[in-house]
Amino acid sequence: MSIVELSDVHVEFHRRGSPPVRAVAGASITVDRGQIVGLVGESGCGKSTLARAACGLLTPTAGSILFEGERLVPLTRRARPLEQARLQMVFQNPFSSLNPRRRVGSQIGDGLEILAGLSGAALDARVAELLEQVGLPATAARRYPHEFSGGQRQRIAIARALAAEPSVIVLDEPLSALDTSAQAQIANLLTSLARELEIGLLLISHDLAIVRQVAHVVSVMYLGVIVESGPTEEIWMRPRHPYTRALIASVPRADGSGVLPGSLPGEVPDPARPPAGCRFHPRCPIVVDRCRSDVPGMVTVATGHQAACWLAAADTRTVASSAPPAGSPGQA
Amino acid sequence: MTALLEVDGLRVLLPGRRAPITVVDGVSFEVGEGEIFGVAGESGSGKTISSLALLRLLPRGATVEGRAVFAGVDLLALDDRALRKKRGLELSMVFQDPMTSLHPMLSVERQLTDHVRYHLGLSRKLARSRAIELLEQVRIPDPETALSAYPHQFSGGMRQRIAIAIALACRPSLLIADEPTTALDVTVQAGIISLLAELRRDYGLAVILITHDLGVMSTIADRLTVFYAGRVVESGPMQAVIQDSRHPYTRGLLEALPHPEATERRPLVPISGAAATPQDRPPGCAFHPRCGFNRDSCSSAVPVLADIGDDRHSACPVDPFARA
Repeated sequence: MSIVELSDVHVEFHRRGSPPVRAVAGASITVDRGQIVGLVGESGCGKSTLARAACGLLTPTAGSILFEGERLVPLTRRARPLEQARLQMVFQNPFSSLNPRRRVGSQIGDGLEILAGLSGAALDARVAELLEQVGLPATAARRYPHEFSGGQRQRIAIARALAAEPSVIVLDEPLSALDTSAQAQIANLLTSLARELEIGLLLISHDLAIVRQVAHVVSVMYLGVIVESGPTEEIWMRPRHPYTRALIASVPRADGSGVLPGSLPGEVPDPARPPAGCRFHPRCPIVVDRCRSDVPGMVTVATGHQAACWLAAADTRTVASSAPPAGSPGQA
Repeated sequence: MTALLEVDGLRVLLPGRRAPITVVDGVSFEVGEGEIFGVAGESGSGKTISSLALLRLLPRGATVEGRAVFAGVDLLALDDRALRKKRGLELSMVFQDPMTSLHPMLSVERQLTDHVRYHLGLSRKLARSRAIELLEQVRIPDPETALSAYPHQFSGGMRQRIAIAIALACRPSLLIADEPTTALDVTVQAGIISLLAELRRDYGLAVILITHDLGVMSTIADRLTVFYAGRVVESGPMQAVIQDSRHPYTRGLLEALPHPEATERRPLVPISGAAATPQDRPPGCAFHPRCGFNRDSCSSAVPVLADIGDDRHSACPVDPFARA
């Protein structure tokens, strides 16, 4: 049983005087013990909205969110069932997600006091353990957030999440505010936490290169829907959705080659007025008539690998290959 | 290569709580005509401040020393009035976030034509047709309608194109682009990179491209300089600096990056320790506490940016990656 199961989740926002915006239009994701699930996409794709729904910060308009087999109780003023504290979140901005007026140790200690009933020396010892687990010295507990760098603050935020003994942590762009080296350090930390503590991670990021590095499986979102998902290496080497291909092709490579990245024509449409049929069709290089009217479902194209494209099943090209698909007119 | 801009010994001090902080500590580089010159470095490295110094856009209380000779004239020695005449006309700048760098309450037409009329004395009609030309150049669809629109009506990528159009309005020979694509989606970023490449090719525009993203540098920079803690640690042709880095910091940066072109995943190797800040610059070589090749001499003398041949420079006297 997956620890987190999002099934056909829809999240809609209502605005006075404008049509409602369906930021997430039917997304399904699962996170298992010790599994790092990457969720990638560009602006307006709905990944942050989906992440918030996955933690209960937003209530889905439709669909179900299960945590450890039970319906996830949204975060409201009423206390959530204690078991659901095992679902934790780390936010993007390490400068605003920590309380600047409280010492680091006391912020990490909150979870220990409330959930484990620790206090005094036992509490201090466990805080020290958590700090060391994220690569910070125990003495950090006495200091304030502003005394630390962005990368260090992000470690503190992770320690705070770990204090609740989570089975899943949702991380919304945890690396984007960090410098290259800090990114590498935190990425390595997340990988080892997932492996050693068997914690599931839902990692939302716009940075495909980092997600490829860290995630076991990845889901690609476009305009509120998941267009492709599967094992990371498989998706990276053999992307089957035209959007995924465009995304991968546009990531610049730090290889000194002087090769311009591929760009994608057009713009992301207004989420309040998504195109009919396949949402990607206006920008798709291989669009056919059917795409304009029929919404493609996810089809399995390889083991564990699915793509929502009418042409995905037939098309076996990799990103690098320029050979036309088998059976097309160009072939002998 | 004809040098369009020669920066020599640039030093910038900003007011600190107790004493002024040397944010840029003796930086020298050259930008050739029609080339894309990359300035790489992480936050706090001084890469942005160096460029702001050239255009006299630093906060009050900043002290600038050194020379910056642009088309034969030392920009740092000009009086404010003379510099204002050049700024926007001969050299201009685009910034990271077009939502804050564009004026939210002025139409696109106003923003495109104000300085054109100031610098070139064009009539409103001529300025307007120049504006349409510029929007076409940066590939904004339906330029006529775009003119009467406002920045908030455009997407991030479009806004950045508009910002570039504004910067190019008076046909400067040098554009300084400070993290122009960092705030944009990667597919949109690719479009801006292509645009800069076209401008270089079709108009011979020189660009100082400031970014921490070595991937972006790899796609388009001709030459590259790497900043650390307010100093240049390495510079040279982009391909050489990235494929055959000679400074341990440059190597460290490249090893800490995920490499999407790799056929298999290798672990990321972070640089140990935290980046040096201008307030806490270690003695001698600023990078030495984090460096795997650190020797005693590294903490005593500030390394000189030495010529290592092939138009390359490196500020590492140990030079551990030099081939025999």
